[in-house]
Amino acid sequence: MTGVELLNWARGPGLQIALVVFIVGVAIRFIEMWLLGKSPDFAEARGSAAAGGWRTLFTRSLPMPGALKRAPLVFLGGYVFHIGFFITFLFYAPHILFLRAVTGFSWPALPAYLIDVIGLVSIAALVAVLVHRLTDPVRRFLSRTGDYVAWAATFLPLLTGYFAYHRLVTDYTTMLALHVLSFELLLVLIPLTKLMHTFTFAVSRWYNGAIAGRKGVKV
Amino acid sequence: MHEPETLGDVLAKRGVSRRGFLKYCATLASLMALPPSVAAQMADKLTRATRQSVIYLSFQECTGCLESLSRTHSPTLEGLLFDLISLDYQETLLAAAGHAAEEARANAMRANSGKFVLMVDGAIPLKDGGVYSTIAGRTNIEILKEAVPHAAAVIAVGTCSSFGGLPHANPNPTGAVSVGTLMEKGLIERKPLINVSGCPPIPVVISGVVAHFLTLGTLPELDGYGRPKVFFGDTIHDRCYRRPFYDQGKFAKTFDDEGARNGWCLYELGCKGPTTYNACATAKWNGGVSFPIESGHGCLGCSEPDFWDAGSFYAPLPAPRAPLSAAAGAAIAVGVAAGAAVGLAGLYKRKKAQQAHTKLTVDDLETEKKP
Amino acid sequence: MSLRDIAVRVEASPASRIGGIRPILHEIRTLLAALIDTGRGGSIDLRSLPLSPADFEALDAALGEGEVRATIRALGETRVTETAIHGVWRVTHCNDGGEAVADLIEVCDAPEILKTHAADARVGLAKLRTRLEPG
Ligand code: SF4
Repeated sequence: MTGVELLNWARGPGLQIALVVFIVGVAIRFIEMWLLGKSPDFAEARGSAAAGGWRTLFTRSLPMPGALKRAPLVFLGGYVFHIGFFITFLFYAPHILFLRAVTGFSWPALPAYLIDVIGLVSIAALVAVLVHRLTDPVRRFLSRTGDYVAWAATFLPLLTGYFAYHRLVTDYTTMLALHVLSFELLLVLIPLTKLMHTFTFAVSRWYNGAIAGRKGVKV
Repeated sequence: MHEPETLGDVLAKRGVSRRGFLKYCATLASLMALPPSVAAQMADKLTRATRQSVIYLSFQECTGCLESLSRTHSPTLEGLLFDLISLDYQETLLAAAGHAAEEARANAMRANSGKFVLMVDGAIPLKDGGVYSTIAGRTNIEILKEAVPHAAAVIAVGTCSSFGGLPHANPNPTGAVSVGTLMEKGLIERKPLINVSGCPPIPVVISGVVAHFLTLGTLPELDGYGRPKVFFGDTIHDRCYRRPFYDQGKFAKTFDDEGARNGWCLYELGCKGPTTYNACATAKWNGGVSFPIESGHGCLGCSEPDFWDAGSFYAPLPAPRAPLSAAAGAAIAVGVAAGAAVGLAGLYKRKKAQQAHTKLTVDDLETEKKP
Repeated sequence: MSLRDIAVRVEASPASRIGGIRPILHEIRTLLAALIDTGRGGSIDLRSLPLSPADFEALDAALGEGEVRATIRALGETRVTETAIHGVWRVTHCNDGGEAVADLIEVCDAPEILKTHAADARVGLAKLRTRLEPG
């Protein structure tokens, strides 16, 4: 298979398959969660659940005080690669064109060289957290295959994107095809792995506050 | 027999001075990304070489390639290609027709057996025994089978003979394939093959390949698709003069907006320059006037395999090749249904578990104590 | 009619300046220094560089016009001009449609293409002989 054929497949059937799996998977998980629901709480409400929910949704996304000191690498690496990943994904001109074609929305891009730097920093951060996971005995003990799969699925789009941008390893067309494929792999794996937290993080953060809020406790 | 004519003799006869030829070599060197200083050596070598015998066969093609090669009349700079080679057989340019033409080909092949370069344009249909393209009652594949063993090398001229091109495009009704595919499948003899792709290819690329062959006696280094690296080593995007705008994120959004007038990058208008390997940005077209991007139109990617099947020429490269809304809509429906099913199954399971659940009583504990 | 007669001109709008001529000027400086020291200069193929029409204008302005201006008519025109920097030449090869097909900066005493080649001199000699033949 030539690079162009691969790219044509990735931009055509490959993308369709990945998108269908992604949508079906995410829909199943959300609807299942919603249908199973929480067991009813019969106690009298002593505060607003919603207010508490919204508050933690916000506060739990901010750095936890002391975390930087306790686990600097996890803390920094985690923030850097999450933010870097989303900046490169959402603000690189070609990505915006993709999203525009899919969603109809578009927004201004960041200059390519800035994306380049951010991408590289994100790659470095991901490597750092992996090394940490492998060398720290506790983290290593706690890690399952799914954790490594999730790491790889996040790492590959960044790496192939960087290679493609700099014309490294193989010709641009093939690397671009691999980049698109790695993104499709990520799409497929989101509903199947803990990468589902892309969406559920908001739900769980909301509940943390909502449960406490209903009891009239601020967290 | 008399001494074979050297290229120098041919040039002298036609009144082309050494200055003229040096100029030709300077343009060739510039195109082949050779240091400008080699032009003089190249001119020297070439004038002492004999002309390369070429047999040119046309199959499933539109004659655009030949048009591109022979567009200019001699003696012009581009026309010098025809001084480098002695075109011993080319159907379209041949005065003879019918049996005489068939005979001319047989003669040319016999006279230069083992020495001629076979140029092929057009794809070769294989479906239904290859009946979709025949010449004098013989299929293209038959003709090719006969010619290839006598050739020193084969140059596939244009995207059709290099990669299948338009005839090969989905749904490929005639089962058209490239020369390279035929060699891979063992349907014709394997010979050194150079793909000069492009729809049509840049004429000087062919001169470059021939000049390389004549000056160095070897074929140029090829890329993964069998194309000479000197011309196909960089993408259009790598050599595009609009590239700085791409890097700065300045894009023309329509063909007549402010950005288009300022010569900004055409990426959003569907330019396929980033995935297209060809020399248009440096060699240019129409004798160096411009190339598509310079004329304000994005690159179509015509020198790449399957470029016809790569989606709209006007859709940006990252856009999906086909609309996704139908698939996405169906996926949502399926997802909701499946989610409901899974969720309800879960609810049912929970209910069952609740029903099966019996409360622990003191009696149970009592009985448990008894062994 | 040649393509030149078509009244379309590429306007060098300031917005299309790419700003890549400084490195070229530096390279010319290096070549010129080498010409003085070793007797061997070199050339730069301008078409291999991504330059916009505005860049070409900027380059011409930076180098200026010098003392020599020659036109060679061989398979179309070739314009050879010495720039205001002695030893730095602009050589522009055109086809017979008048379109530039190669654009070089040559750093040398005199561009190769200006010199008469021995083979051409022989042709000239033969011509002269026939003219002198008593007829
Ligand atoms: S016009 Fe096309 S080839 Fe040129 S920089 Fe833009 S995308 Fe690249």
